[in-house]
Amino acid sequence: MKHHVLALCSALALMTPTLGVAQDRYVHANNSAYDTLDPHTVRDVARVASRLNFYDGLYRWVDNPPQLIPWLATDHSVSEDGLTWTFNLRDDVTFHDGTKMTAEDVVYSFERMLELKRGAGSLFLPMIDPGQTVAVDDTTVAFTLKEPSAIFAALVPDILVVNSTLVKENEVDGDWGQAYMIDHVAGSGSYMLQRYDPARGFIGERFADHFAGWGEKYFDEIEFRTVLETNTRIQGLMRGDYQGLDGYLAPDQVERLRADEDVQIMEEESMRVFHIAMHNGRAPLDDKNFRMAMVHAFDYDGYINEIMQGTVARNPTIMPGNLWGAPDVPGYDYDLEKAQEYLDAYKAEHGDDIRTIKIGTLAGFSETEQAAALMQNGLSQLGIEVEIESSPWPVISSAMQNPDTMPDMVPYWKSTYYVDPNNWVGELYASRYAPTRNVSDYHNDAVDEKLEQALIITDQDARAQLYADATTQIYEDAAGIWIYNTKWFGPYASNVKNVRFCPVGNGQDMRWAYLEE
Amino acid sequence: MRRLEIILSRLVWFIPTLFGLVFVVFFISNVIPTDPARIIAGENATEVQVQALRAEMGLDQPLHVQFGRYVADLATGDLGKSLYTQRAISEDLLHRLPATLELTMAAMVLAIGLGVPLGVISAVKRNSMIDQTLRVLSVSGLAVASFWLAMELQMYFSTKLGWTPLNGRIAGWGPEEITGFYLLDSLLTGDWASFWDTLHHMLLPAITLALPAAATLVRFTRAGVLEVINSNFVLYERAMGFPTTLITWKYVLRNALISTVTQIGLIFGSLFAGAVVVEAVFDWPGLGTYAVQSILQSDTKAILGFSIIVGVVFIGVNLLVDIIHTFIDPRTLK
Amino acid sequence: MTALKRLLADRAATIGAALILGLILVAIFAPVLAPYPEDVTAFHLTERLQPPSADHLFGTDRMGSDVFSRILFGARITITIAVIAVGVSVGIGVPIGLIAGYYGGFPGGFLMRTSDIFLAVPQIVLAIAIAQTLGPSVENVILALSLTYWPFWARLVYAETKSLKAQTFVEAALALGASDWRVMVLHILPNTASAIIVRTSIGMGATILTAAALGFLGLGAPPPTPEWGRTISEAREFLPEAWWYAAAPGLAIFLVVMGFNLLGDGLRDILDPKLRKGSR
Repeated sequence: MKHHVLALCSALALMTPTLGVAQDRYVHANNSAYDTLDPHTVRDVARVASRLNFYDGLYRWVDNPPQLIPWLATDHSVSEDGLTWTFNLRDDVTFHDGTKMTAEDVVYSFERMLELKRGAGSLFLPMIDPGQTVAVDDTTVAFTLKEPSAIFAALVPDILVVNSTLVKENEVDGDWGQAYMIDHVAGSGSYMLQRYDPARGFIGERFADHFAGWGEKYFDEIEFRTVLETNTRIQGLMRGDYQGLDGYLAPDQVERLRADEDVQIMEEESMRVFHIAMHNGRAPLDDKNFRMAMVHAFDYDGYINEIMQGTVARNPTIMPGNLWGAPDVPGYDYDLEKAQEYLDAYKAEHGDDIRTIKIGTLAGFSETEQAAALMQNGLSQLGIEVEIESSPWPVISSAMQNPDTMPDMVPYWKSTYYVDPNNWVGELYASRYAPTRNVSDYHNDAVDEKLEQALIITDQDARAQLYADATTQIYEDAAGIWIYNTKWFGPYASNVKNVRFCPVGNGQDMRWAYLEE
Repeated sequence: MRRLEIILSRLVWFIPTLFGLVFVVFFISNVIPTDPARIIAGENATEVQVQALRAEMGLDQPLHVQFGRYVADLATGDLGKSLYTQRAISEDLLHRLPATLELTMAAMVLAIGLGVPLGVISAVKRNSMIDQTLRVLSVSGLAVASFWLAMELQMYFSTKLGWTPLNGRIAGWGPEEITGFYLLDSLLTGDWASFWDTLHHMLLPAITLALPAAATLVRFTRAGVLEVINSNFVLYERAMGFPTTLITWKYVLRNALISTVTQIGLIFGSLFAGAVVVEAVFDWPGLGTYAVQSILQSDTKAILGFSIIVGVVFIGVNLLVDIIHTFIDPRTLK
Repeated sequence: MTALKRLLADRAATIGAALILGLILVAIFAPVLAPYPEDVTAFHLTERLQPPSADHLFGTDRMGSDVFSRILFGARITITIAVIAVGVSVGIGVPIGLIAGYYGGFPGGFLMRTSDIFLAVPQIVLAIAIAQTLGPSVENVILALSLTYWPFWARLVYAETKSLKAQTFVEAALALGASDWRVMVLHILPNTASAIIVRTSIGMGATILTAAALGFLGLGAPPPTPEWGRTISEAREFLPEAWWYAAAPGLAIFLVVMGFNLLGDGLRDILDPKLRKGSR
């Protein structure tokens, strides 16, 4: 009889897993779709949750300011010539299906990334050739680079290791398991895939045998759901449908959420610089006087205090103020008289005719539209006409990567992909990254020399100095309009605790968080 | 045999129309200023990598070669892969089709249930207060922007009053999937909780969608009924002393319904089109949301696939209506 | 003259005509009527999202601009889009319908099959595909709508022309030696005019709704254009608190489309007795 009751209870528990007492569940509403689970083909902030929670990297970014902690690898050493990087791996890591992880899995994963050329793979390709990664033994893996690199270490967390046995079993026509990995997980991460629907999101179930172990409290189940509409996400959080949202909300939304008792807003310094990229290679913006007029024609205070309601801090250069290597310079101010002086100087040299300036904005990101509108407003007072064209991110992003199609100005954010000054000043203004990431068509030999050197030497103080000098030069050239460094306002239900925010993962690494009763 | 002939002649047109549609949409979508290879490669890719990818995807071929390839693939049901996710578009679309069809049909049932009786009432009591009110309402129903109505309804009933869910198709993950139609699946598996929850979620989007369709039906039914009422055989029957209510419901309605059925094909189309925008407001995981997402990502191939599948459904429904029409209105066979 | 009188006798049509007249006047005199005409481009960041008041009839928006003024200027965009798009559609559709209906045979069949292709997909779907491809701007919305709406007029004129061609007055004109062109333009076209006018009035409403939907989806005019559909999508972030922000443009769309629909209904009753279907 007793057995029957037990059986019945467990049957009921199975049928209604969400109502079970011991089951703590977290539902996150995300602003874009999880249309693929393959960790190697995408590398964007919007879909970071599946990579962080289903997969592990050799190292891992945690906390703020971000730190690299050993993860699948325990430590590493670099050869004298700076070319060979050898990582020692843990011997107690198992994948979700129970297979033990070995160095072979790391080699397979890395070759897969290089072969697919997408996501983080394209970042490694210029540094290392296929076939240059070897498994020295089961727990040792060595990478041989083409040239010494100061940023390789910062990219190691992106080497997400897949279960090579499982993926190989599911390869079709040498596709490196791409068809399979779109909707399956072959990882060792903190959560195992339970359900997935590209139209809806995914549910992860806690992987109890994860090598890193678990704290006393944790979420048994996490669900990341796609809710495209900002307003719906906010209403849903206030109604208790969701326990958390992505953190970069417009200040109006943050204000509304603050007013709600059941919602807490976690506030963190972040490293996401909002700036207006300018096309330095096209007249009239190729002239320094004209650019100086531009940087003085944007109402920084109005934007930060009114539109952003003071929720962000002014950032004078492209480098986030809270990162090493950021120079100490005052930000340009909104001063139309000064702008007019520079403009007059420009006109004295090039004549009075100034063509219409074209600003491209990101459809659906109102901050970029509002920044463009504000710029338009400032320039119209200088007698310069502005045309704004709003396009979806993929369209504008591909236009930006070609100097012929890059609009004169584009307001957008530079997010943290890895925590190194190269992520900001290097990628955006070094000639080696033109035109794909250096979209400004900015070329300065002195700056290039410093940025190149900083990629090779490893002494951080020396690198910091190089970056500070390069950034100052770019600042003096007024190569862009740098506006603010974002703060992260993580909206969560009040009873969600211990969200470990890191600018790289935006607080979506769920293994540390739990519910407080 | 005449019926078979009509059906066959319609079917024969199906293929060229579809081909023409593919042709038109394919060339339209290739005026695009973006570079799909660049999007796939991501912003970290170098120019050489992008070139290689372009060749791999056949994008370096002339447009007519690409079109030939596309049509050849289409013949096997392959709509290509999404630029953004590398997922097969046909799978994505088929996966979302039931959600849209279910919503569209629910709206259709609502529209017919509301529109036809009101249309009859309006005709029978013509020029009365009821008729005048209904006419104003039906004109209004056609003038409202559906996305705006959806937002306003959502704001009032979901956000302020909390009566209906905010968004989505169901709270959890839905009943065990058999057909992909949640109402049907939950009935088949006896999952009543899912059934009611689906209905609850469907309420606002279905109403939003149904209103303009109901308005159209009121107008057409009214006109159809009036035509029949004024026709000779009704006058004859009335002269013979048949009770008015019997005449109205038995004869008039049946004849008026014939013209209404013709409308249903059109209405289905308008509902399907309206779903694109209404789904986006309610985060309904159907074709419309998919299309809007594809727009935001400039996923041209996905939009192409979406237009084609909508075209197929649309042409198919009209074909079906034509066939049904041959049964309920034998006059078409003459 | 009698047509006008009969139009004025129809209450619904009068209201419709009044609404459209209102739209046109607002579009022309927007700079005079708007309390803050400069607010189309000017911002007052300290006055963001104010509720309706005596100063701001419909409140202010996310840039602190007067919503009422922007709605008035939005009328210009709406009317421009609708008039050009419908004008082009009529310009393409009517000749095609005329030629196809008059000559029939293979060319006629081909033209009509082409229009069937465009009718095979709901208009908004095609318009989305086109506008998406061309990039968001008012010009492209107009182009997308023109390319998708012409078949309606082609179909209509085709059917009318086919039936008119069989009539005796056409045969008579031909027997008197009139050229095909002359018959088409001078004899057939005038007889299809009333149907075209009715269809055009209703088509304006439909076009405005589709244009607004494109704007809502982000395929229309870029910011800070005061286009109504775009304003509604901008407002969405601020609901339910800033209810006025979405309510005002929604009502504006409603009134204008209502105007065209009512006028279309009225015109049908008057101009096209065949279609009257015993409404009286």
